[in-house]
Amino acid sequence: MSAEQSPTTASDTRSLMHKQVDRRRALQILFGGLAAGTQAVSACNPLGTKSDEERETSVLAWREYIKGNYRFMTEEERAETIARLERIAKLKRNVDVQIQSTGAQPGVEFGYAFNISKCKGFRSCVEACINENNLDRKAGTQYIRIFEMKNGVVDLDEADATFQHDVPADGHFYMGTQCFQCADPPCVKVCPVGATWAEPDGIVVVDYDWCIGCRYCMAACPYWARRFNWAEPEVPADELNPNQHYLGNRARRAGAVEKCTFCIHRTRQGRLPACAEACPTGARVFGNLLDPNSEIRWVLANKKVFRLKEDLKTEPRFWYFTD
Amino acid sequence: MKRRSVYTAVFSVALASMGAACATERKAEDEHPRLVLAGDTGVRSTIEPGALATVRAESVTWWKGPGGRPFEVTVRTTSPATALTRKFGTITLRTSLRSRAADLGQYPCTSCHLGRAMVLADARVRDAHQNITAVHPVQTGGLCSTCHAADNVELLALKSGERASLDHTYRLCAQCHSQQATAWAGGAHGKRLDGWQGRRVLMGCADCHDPHKPAIEHRIPFRAPQIERTRGVTR
Repeated sequence: MSAEQSPTTASDTRSLMHKQVDRRRALQILFGGLAAGTQAVSACNPLGTKSDEERETSVLAWREYIKGNYRFMTEEERAETIARLERIAKLKRNVDVQIQSTGAQPGVEFGYAFNISKCKGFRSCVEACINENNLDRKAGTQYIRIFEMKNGVVDLDEADATFQHDVPADGHFYMGTQCFQCADPPCVKVCPVGATWAEPDGIVVVDYDWCIGCRYCMAACPYWARRFNWAEPEVPADELNPNQHYLGNRARRAGAVEKCTFCIHRTRQGRLPACAEACPTGARVFGNLLDPNSEIRWVLANKKVFRLKEDLKTEPRFWYFTD
Repeated sequence: MKRRSVYTAVFSVALASMGAACATERKAEDEHPRLVLAGDTGVRSTIEPGALATVRAESVTWWKGPGGRPFEVTVRTTSPATALTRKFGTITLRTSLRSRAADLGQYPCTSCHLGRAMVLADARVRDAHQNITAVHPVQTGGLCSTCHAADNVELLALKSGERASLDHTYRLCAQCHSQQATAWAGGAHGKRLDGWQGRRVLMGCADCHDPHKPAIEHRIPFRAPQIERTRGVTR
């Protein structure tokens, strides 16, 4: 979309005058007209300092600012916002990204199992996650946290998540946590604006542009699974993963909460999450809970499994098991 | 004198042409190294070096076990030159140096093993296979011939008297590590490739474990998180 296209037409304005229009649409029409007017003025100004690209960026940013909640967008609106976001990435950072809006596959509910006998604490999953999900390099955001615990007891208060020594350490085992995509997610319940919800395949997602940054969800999550962006995440352009999803690893802004999405852009296409693919010990099992022939179902049927803080009844879709 | 010089000329020309032919052949081989995968399944395929090849798994009758779901195993078909490490996802897994599925014309076991028979002089085994650290055989008191067929170094010897190709290491390992083998076939041990959906391709035993030194080695982990979690709050 170029800056020359006027976002408001006479018919738009007429519809505003005579038809039933919701508040958001009215704002879009009115301020779209305002933006067009501003462009016209600045285009006439021979001393105008704004380049075409700057003007386009500001128009796109405004359009993005007044868009709706992803969950309630039509397919057309989703395509429009994705086109805008891709264009913004090109203008702002000169990167070509592809943002998907792939929906949940029917008959699929994702589940994850983590083998605490196998995990050696290498954090290869953490590294893969950072690269895959475009996590903020400056703040050092990590979705996955590996706890080093003394053999015999699961005690998260005593456990050390910041170990940095030769692993595996004697007399210890390792237990990874990330977002468990709970079936009864407390984070979703407390969100005052409906910016986070559970998708049909069980993935709890965040609309980063709808999030107001109140961080209630972070307080509600008993697993420390959510991360807050105090500043706009910084990812070097050559390390950016261009394969993105609107609800997953696309660019986040300052003041938005983010979290693990089981690599929604990969798993909805049948691939494994990056953490499971990178694990060098095979401690991570991922699959479809509704498929009786899946690995995850075999683990649940044949291994001793438990879930973290099960008494909270959050129903995590993430099980721990031992050999 | 004259006759001798003619002979010399003819001979040198012949030599030169032979040399040139050899050189071109070698060059062509180097440019397009093709690996022939010859499992004992009778399935033959040609794969670029460095790629993963898939062999259909053969059932090991006594642990086919729960579900008995079909699965395939991958084998590394890296040529020895590139076999030390292999990129997998975003990490590099150690792989052992066996050229089990490599082009037989290029790296035959028989170039050292006369008539494919195993050479049992210990000192010479150490010299010839310096890449092997014999931790597992020492710990279990195993000999080369415990796992390798004495009369054919390109095959594995199973306790039943059967032979398995080097691609089907799980048949050998499952003889002792039955629990791991069951978990592997079920999906709790090892890794699945190609995603969670569709064709089920697993990594073979030797893709993660060096058969002669199977324990996963210690290492320094990737950097720790910089943001602390809240403590003293268990719920």
